[in-house]
Amino acid sequence: MNSLIQRYAGSSAASQQRRNVSTVDDDDEFSDAMWGSEAGFGSLAKGVPSFMVPSVPDPAAFLRLHTDDHADPSCKIKIQHGTTTLAFRFQGGVIVAVDSRATAGSYVASGTVKKVIEINPYLLGTMAGGAADCQYWETYLGMHCRLHELRNRERISVSAASKYLSNLVYSYKGMGLSMGTMICGWDKTGPALFYVDSDGTRLKGDLFSVGSGSTFAYGVLDQGYRWDLTDEEAQELGRRSIYAAGHRDAFSGNTCNLYHVKEHGWDFIGNYDITTLHYDGPGNVSGSPGHGYGYEIRVEGQTSANPPEVVAQA
Amino acid sequence: MPDTTSLDHPAQRAFNPYTENGGTILAIAGADFSVIAGDTRQSEGYSIQTRYAPKVFQLTDRAVLAVNGFAADGNMFVKKVKQRLEWYRHAHSKDMPLRAIARLIQTMLYGRRFFPYYVYNILGGIEEDGTGAVYSFDPVGSYEREACRAAGAAQSLVQPFLDNQIYFKNQRPAHNTSHPVHLPLATVLSIVIDSFTGATERHIEVGDGLEIYVVLAKGRGLHGLEGVRGVQELTATDDGERVFVVRRELKKD
Amino acid sequence: MSVMEYNGGSVIAMVGKDCVAIASDLRLGNQALGITSNFQRVFPVTNRLYIGLPGLGTDVTTLRERFRYRVNMYTIKEERDIQPETFAHLVSSTLYEHRFGPYFIEPVIAGLSKAPSGGFKPFIAATDLIGCLNFAKDFVVAGTASAKLFGVAEGLWEPDLEPEDLFETISQTLLNAVDRDAFSGWGAVVHVITKDQVVTRTLKGRMD
Repeated sequence: MNSLIQRYAGSSAASQQRRNVSTVDDDDEFSDAMWGSEAGFGSLAKGVPSFMVPSVPDPAAFLRLHTDDHADPSCKIKIQHGTTTLAFRFQGGVIVAVDSRATAGSYVASGTVKKVIEINPYLLGTMAGGAADCQYWETYLGMHCRLHELRNRERISVSAASKYLSNLVYSYKGMGLSMGTMICGWDKTGPALFYVDSDGTRLKGDLFSVGSGSTFAYGVLDQGYRWDLTDEEAQELGRRSIYAAGHRDAFSGNTCNLYHVKEHGWDFIGNYDITTLHYDGPGNVSGSPGHGYGYEIRVEGQTSANPPEVVAQA
Repeated sequence: MPDTTSLDHPAQRAFNPYTENGGTILAIAGADFSVIAGDTRQSEGYSIQTRYAPKVFQLTDRAVLAVNGFAADGNMFVKKVKQRLEWYRHAHSKDMPLRAIARLIQTMLYGRRFFPYYVYNILGGIEEDGTGAVYSFDPVGSYEREACRAAGAAQSLVQPFLDNQIYFKNQRPAHNTSHPVHLPLATVLSIVIDSFTGATERHIEVGDGLEIYVVLAKGRGLHGLEGVRGVQELTATDDGERVFVVRRELKKD
Repeated sequence: MSVMEYNGGSVIAMVGKDCVAIASDLRLGNQALGITSNFQRVFPVTNRLYIGLPGLGTDVTTLRERFRYRVNMYTIKEERDIQPETFAHLVSSTLYEHRFGPYFIEPVIAGLSKAPSGGFKPFIAATDLIGCLNFAKDFVVAGTASAKLFGVAEGLWEPDLEPEDLFETISQTLLNAVDRDAFSGWGAVVHVITKDQVVTRTLKGRMD
């Protein structure tokens, strides 16, 4: 890890790299652990996983040239993008709600992405930005949370877990990692929520939304948010906010996954199809308004486009 | 005309170790079987390099891997996965379970996060509980278990067709009936063949040949697979799972 | 981002037995932001001829009026309805007039043309944005979901579909294709043209 930090930190990084980065030969990657069942994480034996880096003057520029930064849809390696995720803290815990769409350019690559990563039974992480970055590092975080438990005979705090992740991704700053995540859980301090991204930002807060559809989600969220929301109201607010983003944002949609973190850990509340929410609402669940969320559905027969029937004419 | 610019100024050249070799792969999971298919054309730009370059590889008797994108990266990646699986066999005297292979592939792909394999992977096979499974990956290792997935040059042509025919998207079942959760093998095979003939018709990088791998769960009968034209058994162990390949021709124009 | 993808939207036309169908989604967006879910881009030209105009929203409106004007002039001068073949060439030459500063539209045309015997013959055509005509015998597609439409249509379409079956085929093709396209969707409209009538149906589609 330290060698990586040295390699990519500071202004003379480029010149340093030329000396330090000999291409990691693939054979060097294999530790004894790889013979066994630890998969690639077996390299934990060495402390940190190692990554092969191309032997070019500027590896980050190389990566930027060949992977999709959303700005250049013509490049070959497309990393999935586009998302709406939100989480908020309230009296009854933390609500986590996300959509399930992954897009590559205009193509909807998947409508069933799990953007809530179940780090362990009492910690959740959300996924925005590079899907692989979030999946890999949050799995890795899960392993370290477990090691913390074994070493200290108590669960890691959400604050410590999020800081571990934050420091980890910060050590790769400038290398092209892309993640915007919310680490949610319940620890000694009660419900806790942290925003962590690949720039190294780490924020403690009550309410966050991340992704291309976040502006739409914030619109609904800000309107309906109170600390003393009941569990039902809070879950409905999460669902309704993701619906709003899924509806208006082309890069968000398909379904909404809803989680509720309480004192005993997280509960999976449900998976809701955005189109079903539009036409029929969430169905027979607590907090349901009993009708579709869609504007045209709610104002049926009450607008100039479809006025109420004239009962009697003069 | 002589190129004078290169004489006067230092020219910067980008390191470009990638190319795109076309083709399409697809996998569908059934209740107790899995089908993994790919065409065999390998192209670069408008030229066909070969009409037979396999993109689907048998890893074990319960796992088949399809790779698409940059052929050199793909072949090297498959080689390394096979090597790791052999090491596992030596250490544990058994084949690695499918979900473990999926996680292995994630970490192997992510190990090249800063110098990615330009490869889209689809892993199909049978889980330890005997169910058919498909795992799909992006080039840097994000993955998910699904029931069906198309990848490669014609993914945008094939995937919406599969949504309609496998998941019955936008179809409402007749009154008092419901859509089947899992389709029978014969139906899946004909959907796969239709998908590739369709893609061959409308995409220049798809065609020549079709290889369809079928993995059957332990104790499952052949259910008519023995009657399929051009079928060949590839099973290597007596663990119970069986692997078959069906080879078909596709249009070559 | 490409001008052709700025507002989104897709159109497809299919041939059936003594009938044709043309269908489109209803989304108009501003890149990723969905603006409206009732944007019509398929218009009647005559009683048995329709045109779909997927592409840049502003050019949909402009071209629609241009074609209306030119078809009206034709009708007044010739004292008869314009035939689909003739109209296709009118569309082509109108677009080619702007060869070096084109309208960002790829029109799709569907109609029934009068046969010399007195019957009607299905006709479909599509052009690129500068008017290169494509007279297909099965189906034509255009718009941001064109690749997806090609794939599904190739799998679902078959020759000599009766009007009701053609409606089902074109509807399924369109709905499943636009669900895999971020810039198309938000409902759909289908017109099935037979010699006696045009049946127009609005479909509920995914709203995300």
